[in-house]
Amino acid sequence: MAQLFPPSVDLYAKIVILGIGVFLVGGTYSFYLLNRSPYWTNVGVTLDQPVPFSHQHHAGELGIDCRFCHASVATSSYAGMPDTQTCMTCHSQIWKDAPMLEPVRRSYAENKPIKWNRVNEMPGYVYFNHSIHINKGVGCSSCHGRVDEMPITWKATDMTMGWCLSCHRHPEPNLRPLSAVYQMDWTTPKDPHTGQTWAVERNIQKDHLTDCSACHR
Amino acid sequence: MLRLSPLSSMKSLPLPPQVQIDAGGPRFWKSLEEWSQSPDFLPYLHREFPEYASAWDNGMSRRRFLKLMAASFALAGLTSCSRQPQEKIVPYVRRPEEIIPGKPLYYATTFSHRGYGKGVLVRTEMGRPTKIEGNPDHPASLGATDVFMQASILGLYDPDRSQTIRQGNDISTRDAFTQFVGARIEAHEQDQGAGLFLLTGKTTSPTLADQLQRLHERFPKLSWCSYEPAAPVRAQSILGHDAEPVYDLSKADIIVSLDADFLLDGPANLVLTKAFSKKRRDPAADFNRLYVIESAPSITGAKADVRWRRKPSEVITFTQQLAAAIAQGVAGDSPEIRQLANDLQQHRGRGVIIAGDYQPEVVHALAFQLNQTLGNIGSTVTYQEAQQTPIPTTSLPDFVTALKRRAASTLLIAGANPIYDLSPAWGFSNAMARVTHSIHLGLYDDETGSRCHWHVPGSHYLEAWGDILAIDGTPSLLQPVIEPLYPDAVSLVEVISLLVDLPPKKGYEIVREFWQRSLAADVPAAWELSLNKGVVAGLSPQALSPTPVVSVRDAPPEDLPNSSDLEILFRPDTAVDDGRFANNAWLQELPRPLTKLTWDNVAMISLATAKSMGVTTGDVVRLEAAGQSVDAPVWIQPGHADGCVSVTLGYGRSQLGEVANGVGFNAGLLRSSVAAWSQALTRAQATGARLELASTQHHFSMEGRDLIQIETLADYKTDPSQAQENQPNPPPEENLYPPFAYKDYAWAMSIDLNTCVGCNACVVACQSENNIPVVGKDQVFKGREMHWIRIDRYFEGEPEDPAMHFQPVTCMQCEDAPCEVVCPVGATVHTSEGLNDMVYNRCVGTRYCSNNCPYKVRRFNFLEYSDATHPTLALQKNPDVTVRSRGVMEKCTYCVQRIESARIDAQKEMRPIRDGEIVTACQAACPADAIVFGNINDPASRVSRLKALPRNYGLLADLNTHPRTTYLAKVTNPPTAI
Repeated sequence: MAQLFPPSVDLYAKIVILGIGVFLVGGTYSFYLLNRSPYWTNVGVTLDQPVPFSHQHHAGELGIDCRFCHASVATSSYAGMPDTQTCMTCHSQIWKDAPMLEPVRRSYAENKPIKWNRVNEMPGYVYFNHSIHINKGVGCSSCHGRVDEMPITWKATDMTMGWCLSCHRHPEPNLRPLSAVYQMDWTTPKDPHTGQTWAVERNIQKDHLTDCSACHR
Repeated sequence: MLRLSPLSSMKSLPLPPQVQIDAGGPRFWKSLEEWSQSPDFLPYLHREFPEYASAWDNGMSRRRFLKLMAASFALAGLTSCSRQPQEKIVPYVRRPEEIIPGKPLYYATTFSHRGYGKGVLVRTEMGRPTKIEGNPDHPASLGATDVFMQASILGLYDPDRSQTIRQGNDISTRDAFTQFVGARIEAHEQDQGAGLFLLTGKTTSPTLADQLQRLHERFPKLSWCSYEPAAPVRAQSILGHDAEPVYDLSKADIIVSLDADFLLDGPANLVLTKAFSKKRRDPAADFNRLYVIESAPSITGAKADVRWRRKPSEVITFTQQLAAAIAQGVAGDSPEIRQLANDLQQHRGRGVIIAGDYQPEVVHALAFQLNQTLGNIGSTVTYQEAQQTPIPTTSLPDFVTALKRRAASTLLIAGANPIYDLSPAWGFSNAMARVTHSIHLGLYDDETGSRCHWHVPGSHYLEAWGDILAIDGTPSLLQPVIEPLYPDAVSLVEVISLLVDLPPKKGYEIVREFWQRSLAADVPAAWELSLNKGVVAGLSPQALSPTPVVSVRDAPPEDLPNSSDLEILFRPDTAVDDGRFANNAWLQELPRPLTKLTWDNVAMISLATAKSMGVTTGDVVRLEAAGQSVDAPVWIQPGHADGCVSVTLGYGRSQLGEVANGVGFNAGLLRSSVAAWSQALTRAQATGARLELASTQHHFSMEGRDLIQIETLADYKTDPSQAQENQPNPPPEENLYPPFAYKDYAWAMSIDLNTCVGCNACVVACQSENNIPVVGKDQVFKGREMHWIRIDRYFEGEPEDPAMHFQPVTCMQCEDAPCEVVCPVGATVHTSEGLNDMVYNRCVGTRYCSNNCPYKVRRFNFLEYSDATHPTLALQKNPDVTVRSRGVMEKCTYCVQRIESARIDAQKEMRPIRDGEIVTACQAACPADAIVFGNINDPASRVSRLKALPRNYGLLADLNTHPRTTYLAKVTNPPTAI
């Protein structure tokens, strides 16, 4: 019987098989890269907000402490978003007619809250507690970056489980003196022993930090 | 190897096996089928879920199934490609000062049940209540709760609650109603209130009493009737009026219960359980003895050291014989009477006779006489004057007669459901139709409400201001913990205010003004203090009047049924009570303590009665009494008295809500009056129909191994560690797993089988705390109920009259957990503190862990059980616990959210977690303090000391799982000579 396929098909077949292999490997690698890209993690992506609030102006230039707005960061699991009244404590007197602040004034007058787009978002199965981190000496900028240099807020770190675990397994480099927690430009000391001393002093239960129920309930 | 028939499409599920009593079976058994070891039963037992429960009963072929699964597997990979949707943060506009998002606030209020209050602390998150706990400062709660208190929070968010004012068939407004009331006021000012009729439930509220007095002043001829379908009987002949016995079980060595389910039922149940359990905690110290005589098994009967089962008329004759034996010192003919009389005489002044709330007056009078003769009054029991009503009341029969006479032009019904409670023989429906204007105030537009011209939605106790008295007379306030969910909802005091105040006042003003007059002036900030503590400050409890010596003639009751007649006895249901909680899904699905039934009520009979009637469990019989008939499924209950049928009230609702309608049968139809608790049964005829009953008694069975360790007090005193020695195989020394040192905390739990009474409070508390879903009768039938803690009920002995034992079972948090090693995705792992963590987001639903668990404590979400359609139900959910979706395994976590919360607080304060700081939900609810949680790395902690007791043993310890939850063996105290 005559051959169905001419010999040149050999080459095509090999190319196609190789191509499938490259496609599978390349495809998997692309998904891997995609998952770590800002498309997925939102790192560095500025989000539109109802009011273009500038942390750079308020926290950086004016030097307002983080806790003035995020009041429950050291007492509760939830750091707290400022209520409209907090904004109005200043903006009922400063820039009180500015068009940019119209949504704030309207919210206060109509008693309807402002709906902000959440920048630092965790999935629902993560039960994150701010207060314990603050009380143990993890600073705001360790996780949220240089918020005082953000004209519009963006997410500074990818906040994946692996990223959280990298600290939970080895918290020492990320600890600071309790007085420096809200200091934006603090840097990790060169000497690793400082962090180790703090971890012991502050009675950080390192074994428990890698238990699932520390974050997932 | 078990031969199972091949999977095929199932049209109907197999019925529970028929009972054949052949030979004696295992020592502890959970049902008659298990006792008889009938061949039908054994395969039923060997599978964790009843046959085919894990089958998908759908007519799909395997080929098509595999095709679809392959396609969805391929597509599943792509679903992870979607990004999280953008979430919004919505802060307050003006944040309330005391609310910190993420931190719960606790408020004290009072739960009212059948007219008496029990204090609660309500946990609120961001302005909405999520959990009820007991109030340690309230004398009727002492920090504990019962099933009704725990489940009441679901009632607040019930989607079937009425939301709007209705006039006729139209939705109306508050203004229209106020106008209507104004017109009625004018009319009644003409007739001085002769046409104004008021029908309520029992109330002890001082504010309401004050308002009723003002109403009476304004309309002197008004008629007020207050009744409770489950009102206890009290003997009028003592003291000339109703006398309320108050028991002090801490002083009682011998307790005799004449069909009194005092551990579960009544306004004093929590107090009595606590006192009873205190004297059973330590066999080395004072240990009481409980004698119970009853017709239908109850949990008090289950705790009894000596239990006699008698039908209702025989209970009366027994009491008469006992009274004669004690009074005249005669031996009495029966050995039981002799023995009991002897024991009581030996413990004069330290015994107590408790007459059941549903026993006739003669039994109460005799009990009083016995207590008096034995010198118990003043030590274990005191009789105090029952609460007097603020204005004269009309009896219910007179009230109905007046309605039929067309005497009423305005009828206000609040907190009562006469159309449902009363049998049709009363003709209440007819009577109501003759009222010109009828108004109904209630949580639901129920059977009575729908027949009224006006229906006004009632506010739930968690959203209203008010006050109430506890059974011992202590007043406490009710404060709302949430704005009324439905703006039109009002409370009874607000409706009465419409009639007496101009302008009408809101609940806060009414209650505040009343107490401003009544609070002790010398107590600083008395109002705030009362609200904070949950008990009115500065007011001493009602003084007890001295008990005079009264000789009581025991008159025989009027119609004692013929001893050969079949009798019927009625009891409020242990979960839905008199019907008011029938729409509460948690309570409907709660396995009843003795029968482990859910979602139905039954006609309970004994084995002998069943044989004589020729019926078995599940057969439907037609019961006829007092001229009415009702169809009821039969349930054979070991331990039930012969010659009588017991039924529970509260079922057969027709107009309450999605959960309640059509479930069970209305046993109240057969009652000759609201005071009738037992009467003759005219007829009981099998109809030939059958009803599948969903009982959980076989579910999650641990297959007959000796799980309960019991010893008598006498044996305990000779050899305290008998329980440990009785273990079938001591745990082997070798272990495949490497040892692990638990350095910081090691969480563990101890459950005392001695003090646990089986009341089910822990089951509902766990459901409330951990967002556990309700699955419905069909799914319970397949063994898929989701309760993380279950209370296994074991019988011991002969099927006619066995002993009964309870054992709460939670996840044992085994140190060498069989479930952890078989999970393919690592969704269940062990923590550094000994907890077996369940990570829901990793679980793929293999169910191998559940397969491997010897205790059968894991629960799988076979379907999407959590409710996503009703927005109010989402408000009840605990935000600290994940709401599980389908396909995910769940189990008891030792309330890990509470552990973490306590740890974070302790870490912030740089101190260790104190013993007793973490209280699991089940531990907090338990009135008997049977569950203790703590750190076994601390030798001084309560749980460590309990585990060091000789009675301590682990369940299935020979499997070498090293369970962190261990039990303390039960000790019984039967008298030495009978």
